[in-house]
Amino acid sequence: MTQRHSTRGAWLIMLASLITIAICVYDYYTPETGLIGTGGVITVAVAGALMLMASLTMGLVANRGCFLQGFLVVSILLDIIGSSVAGYFLESPVIMAAQALALIGWLINVIGDAAERSVEIDEVEDED
Amino acid sequence: MKIRNFVLGALGLAAAAAAVTLVPMQHATAQGGNSDPAQTWDAFGGNQQAQKYSTATQITPDNVKGLKMAWEFHTGDVSSGAHSTTWGATPLFANNTVYTGTPKYNIFAVEPDTGKMKWKYSANGNNGDENQGLKNRGVAYWAAANPTAGACQKMVYIGTMTGELHGVDADSGKPCAGFGKNGVVDVNAWATKNSKWKIGLIQPPAVYKDTLILGWAGNDWVYKTENPGTVYGIDARTGALKWTFNIIPDDMMNQTGTANVWAGISVDPETGLAFLPTSSPSPNYYGGDRLKEMPYATATVAVNAETGEVKWARQLVHHDIWDVDINSAPTLVDIKKDGQVIPALIQANKMGLMVVLNRNTGEPVWPIVERAYPASDIAGEVASKTQPFVPYPEPLVAEHMPPVSKLADILSFGECSRWKARIRDEGRYTPPSVRGSISWPATLGGVEWGGGALDPTTNTYVVNSNLVPQIYTLVPRADADKKYGNALRARDGYAAQQGSAYGFKLENFLNMWGMPCWAPPYGIMSSYDMNSGKLLWRKPVGQVQKWGFYMPESWGSITIGAPAITKSGLVFIGASMDSRVRAIDVKTGNVLWKHIVDAPAVAQPAVYTYKGKQYVAFAAGGNGILTPRLSDQLVAFALPN
Repeated sequence: MTQRHSTRGAWLIMLASLITIAICVYDYYTPETGLIGTGGVITVAVAGALMLMASLTMGLVANRGCFLQGFLVVSILLDIIGSSVAGYFLESPVIMAAQALALIGWLINVIGDAAERSVEIDEVEDED
Repeated sequence: MKIRNFVLGALGLAAAAAAVTLVPMQHATAQGGNSDPAQTWDAFGGNQQAQKYSTATQITPDNVKGLKMAWEFHTGDVSSGAHSTTWGATPLFANNTVYTGTPKYNIFAVEPDTGKMKWKYSANGNNGDENQGLKNRGVAYWAAANPTAGACQKMVYIGTMTGELHGVDADSGKPCAGFGKNGVVDVNAWATKNSKWKIGLIQPPAVYKDTLILGWAGNDWVYKTENPGTVYGIDARTGALKWTFNIIPDDMMNQTGTANVWAGISVDPETGLAFLPTSSPSPNYYGGDRLKEMPYATATVAVNAETGEVKWARQLVHHDIWDVDINSAPTLVDIKKDGQVIPALIQANKMGLMVVLNRNTGEPVWPIVERAYPASDIAGEVASKTQPFVPYPEPLVAEHMPPVSKLADILSFGECSRWKARIRDEGRYTPPSVRGSISWPATLGGVEWGGGALDPTTNTYVVNSNLVPQIYTLVPRADADKKYGNALRARDGYAAQQGSAYGFKLENFLNMWGMPCWAPPYGIMSSYDMNSGKLLWRKPVGQVQKWGFYMPESWGSITIGAPAITKSGLVFIGASMDSRVRAIDVKTGNVLWKHIVDAPAVAQPAVYTYKGKQYVAFAAGGNGILTPRLSDQLVAFALPN
């Protein structure tokens, strides 16, 4: 059963994933970064692309099932954690900062969604 | 714990970290006085004494954070794959010019303050499938003491891996017609005995007055009897052969070969003694056919630089069956001890021992003891019952390898510990065996070919070294022939040692994911007070980088290359796997500055002063042993104006 979920924060996650992909492309092709041609930045770029798809779904599909909402929330969080750890070991503060941005977007979405659930419950109780 | 905390806190700190990156860094632009005299770096080891020392004082521990790239120059001489380049050149600064040689046998002369090319000389190496690969450690420089009119009173020399030594005019880059045949000496013409391959002139010759002292590199894993290690004294002007020094005794030449000098050579300018670090005889890992004593093999040998006559020799590994060549030019030091000045040399080696000898006599300054080590279990092999051991100054490497890495073991489902249990490990000098033996430190262990650096004003000596075990397995000839046929080498680490009873296999002790099976650190830097022999500090150096991910600094990195030291109290070093160059505080060992270059700078840097400005130059060429990342970048750093 679908219901309306929050789209708030999705655009911030999208922005973060685009920053992640852009910096990975730059790192991959720039000798001065020390990461030129490395598998690590490819991995983070792929994670960024997955995050972009997830955040697009979150932002564009407001009416979605609980399973999809749960999947998006969990997978984006795992993506943020994984990319942050990778960013730390790649010694890339930009990747880590982008993940912080994504985390803020994720929190906005989760809190916003919880708030919307709370309003819906209140409305149901009022109808009673 | 520190890493874990950081990782856990990374998200919270990320925004702040990003902010930091967006704020322009404030650089210390203050420089020391510009009063430093012009300083050269005219030999592979910085000077003839292989001290890698500069009196420059402009870049200091206080302002080194402001160090910036002054210029970079790309030689174009880089290739990967089957014909990959190995570039370990130390740039030279002499004649108001920076000179470097490349693994495709070109000499480049560039402006010292801009990196603009002055001239290029091509030695016309075939740039193809050389018998020993495309390798170069730079060029040598000679200047006539009493120059006459005309060209070639200052010359630059480059060797090829096919045995040609080229001499060119340092001002114009034109070949010197009076040197050899139109500027080329074919050293192979002198190396005719048991010639199995063309000799490789990877290391530039040492220069003393008008004599070039030339060693060479070879393939000492593939045959039992190979080119015998001969050192050549050559007239710097004409290329004529002045003398030869044979390391292999005449009556052993049909049993063995090599024991050549493939690393740098240092010279005492006062006594005219040249100090030769010699390597192990062939075949490297089975000595059953060469049991007779060869006192000049795996030794430090002092010869008269102008005649080749031996003054003294000190063997540092008896009957070497581990390929632990003496692999760096000894660093000369005048030790002030008990009110006396002892003319000495430091021969830190692959076994991780700090050998310090009186350079006039070869007698040890601190005692060398003969310590008992395990016997070989191979039929026909007789490992030496004892080996020289130096308990003080404190060795760079412990007697036994570190424990198995728990992390690598867990992640490989116990592969590391199972492997370790199968093989023979009795610590240092465990002989190679058919079931496999831990070699600790191994051929990649201890000190590599750069050696250490010395500040002769304080007698502080710094040296980087590796903590690397490898696995040595002898393959009985019948098994080797069955599996490998006539192949001299195979990709799994096999080397034929043809003509002997055993082939050989070298394996790195890594798990299925390529992780080291032993506990870190993998590379360290140590500092000693050479007047007392006391260890001042020891710290991990460099970082391992795998797939782009940097491992913790506490793990250190395997290093190939060496440090340079300055009067102002800084140590500069590249050498590590992470393609970074660093400035280290000589008093504390703390890293004060680091910068990414295009590939690991696997040579010592050059430090020079030109027009009142101090530069630190690195050749960032890379080495396939460390990482696949190779480059052709020559780069210099300086403080901003």
